[in-house]
Amino acid sequence: MKRTLKALTLGLALTASTAGAQTTVTFWTWYLSPKFDGYIKDTIAAFEKANPGIKVQWFDKQDSMVQDFIASVNLGNAPDVVNLNIDETQKAAQNGFLTAVNTLTSPATLRSTFYPQSLSNFTSGANTFAYPWYGWLNEGVLLYNPDLFKKAGLTRAPRTASEMLTYAKTIKDKTGAYAWVPALKDPNTASFLGYFYAEGLPVTDASGKAAFNTAAHANLLAQYVTLYRGGYIPEDAVRREAFQLATELYAQNRVAMIIGGPQALTRIKDTNPSLYAKTVVTQAPLGKAGVQTGGSMGLVIPKASKNPQAAAKLAAFFTNNANQLGFARVVPVVPTTLGAQTSTQFKTSSSDPVARATALVGASGRLINPGYKAPGNSDDLYKNFNDNIEAALLGKKTAQQALADAAMYWNANLKK
Amino acid sequence: MQVHWRQSLMSYTFLAPALILLAVFTFYPLLYGAYLGFTEYNGARFANHLPPQWVGLRNFETVLGDPLFRTALANSVKYLLVVPALQLASLAVAVLVAKNIPGIALFRAAYYVPVITSVSLAAVMWEWVFNREGTLNWLLRALHLTTPEAAFGWLNNEHWAFWAVMLVTFWRGFGYYMVLYLAGLQAIPEELEEAAILDGASAWQRFWRVTVPLMRPTILLCTLLSTIAALRVLEEVLVLTNGGPLNSTYTALMYVYAKAFQGFDFDYGVASAAGLVVAVVALLLSALNFRFFHREEEQA
Repeated sequence: MKRTLKALTLGLALTASTAGAQTTVTFWTWYLSPKFDGYIKDTIAAFEKANPGIKVQWFDKQDSMVQDFIASVNLGNAPDVVNLNIDETQKAAQNGFLTAVNTLTSPATLRSTFYPQSLSNFTSGANTFAYPWYGWLNEGVLLYNPDLFKKAGLTRAPRTASEMLTYAKTIKDKTGAYAWVPALKDPNTASFLGYFYAEGLPVTDASGKAAFNTAAHANLLAQYVTLYRGGYIPEDAVRREAFQLATELYAQNRVAMIIGGPQALTRIKDTNPSLYAKTVVTQAPLGKAGVQTGGSMGLVIPKASKNPQAAAKLAAFFTNNANQLGFARVVPVVPTTLGAQTSTQFKTSSSDPVARATALVGASGRLINPGYKAPGNSDDLYKNFNDNIEAALLGKKTAQQALADAAMYWNANLKK
Repeated sequence: MQVHWRQSLMSYTFLAPALILLAVFTFYPLLYGAYLGFTEYNGARFANHLPPQWVGLRNFETVLGDPLFRTALANSVKYLLVVPALQLASLAVAVLVAKNIPGIALFRAAYYVPVITSVSLAAVMWEWVFNREGTLNWLLRALHLTTPEAAFGWLNNEHWAFWAVMLVTFWRGFGYYMVLYLAGLQAIPEELEEAAILDGASAWQRFWRVTVPLMRPTILLCTLLSTIAALRVLEEVLVLTNGGPLNSTYTALMYVYAKAFQGFDFDYGVASAAGLVVAVVALLLSALNFRFFHREEEQA
């Protein structure tokens, strides 16, 4: 009797523990709370409902994301799914922090879900290290202030990158406002390389060595130097992030145009609703190469994750077509899924600037490409590149000398 | 008197918690950090759970051979110019506000506000001051010292950004040292001051002959603290100029910070080596401070 009771108790205990066996997946996002709490929580709830054995613990990280990630690996409590951008994913992958997602989800599934370029953005060597998530296009949309255009005697938006440079002089001379804020040296990246890519000028050669020191590159940089030194670009552009500065000055009627994704409009809507209402949204001019630059977020699985399979399920769920389209309905982001291309969601005709901007770029995720991939030791290389761009802008070096110095440093300090 | 071993044990028992905390949170990290300066320990080793690898003096060669570090260290040493200005000003104002006059508490509190103001908030405020269209240029124009055409953003100018950031450090540190000096002033026996008055000493003479000599330990403490703080300046530089323009505000601690916490490309070995070089400079300067004040004391 005693034995039967013991067996029964043990059996019951085992059944209970099996029934309650749950994998908890820790999910870190980057700068999404509190604005998008509703979307994230709803998506997590839908995931948990579809996967009863998996529970998700969500944390939103901000400034200290990367440091927290590194510390968590050291402490042995690494998160399972982490939201990183292209550059940080490349750096983390190069240093061995990440699991290749093509070992968790079949490459065929990845290829049938995401644009080839989106996967390529997160590919290092032969492996892909993130499920591409929402993206944005730097040149996707051009927003302009019609009053400043009228004052400058302009009737239409610029159609080419070189026309943008001409507009810079016209607008400043006639209105006192700056035409736009180019990304000359955004912190923690080498944003000017994007201009080379847009003009069809190579950033690196086939072996990964710097190839941005030709006369054509120097000529392009020199045009920006002339504008900067002539006072046609805000001097703060060497110190502050261009997008941040542009949205701030645009709302004050001190910048006539913003080139960027629809996300700029949401900020203007908050700070200057009347200017938002009259802002004209149109296609942004492209450089000679006719390509866009842009960025994307991805969801990575740290090598130190204790639940890589469950983590992969969650990452794939968040980045699937339906959920990316859902996110694009909440905020004007560009989905990175193949399915978004044919979605009717981006075929709306509305007079609302955000809706128009979203319609312009929403189905263009295939074009998202930063134009360069983070090289090994990129933080040092980016700093040196930016220092040289700054030296050219401030007249300490010629454009050619600055690029030659940066290329020399780049090639001497490049780590594979 | 012989101390009984039980009393001795009791003393150490009371000391133990503090000693353990110090050992864990101060001495161990300090020694481990120094050890890392002689090792290779970067993102790739860290991610693959490989231990630090001894490389001798290689990191020091890297750091001292890096023109960016040399510029950064030179900037940090130049930054020490804030120390005498800060000490003289805070001591002078402490003497002025030490008097019990109506409303003085509000005055003291006002000076202390910058100490407790967050650096990001302070940065926004100083941006308004230093901007091309900011209050500083407006003031200079109002005083007919400059013209609208000659105006520039102080933080974007490679000749002025350094001094602009230093002014923010001065502003942030002023109240803190003033409070320390106030505490020192209040510890001076009143009868000494009264005796000097009876002897006919002027306010100036009382300040130099009575106040300053008696304040020497506080001055030494404040000078040491502000010397170390100046060498370790980071926050205001990071948020105001990020080290630019042309690295004119890039300090040694920014270099350490960049190498240690820049992201996945971090290199704890190089960062620790750079940190050790800064620590050695700080120790040398502290020794100089002690020597200077000791000699002053002997002469007095």
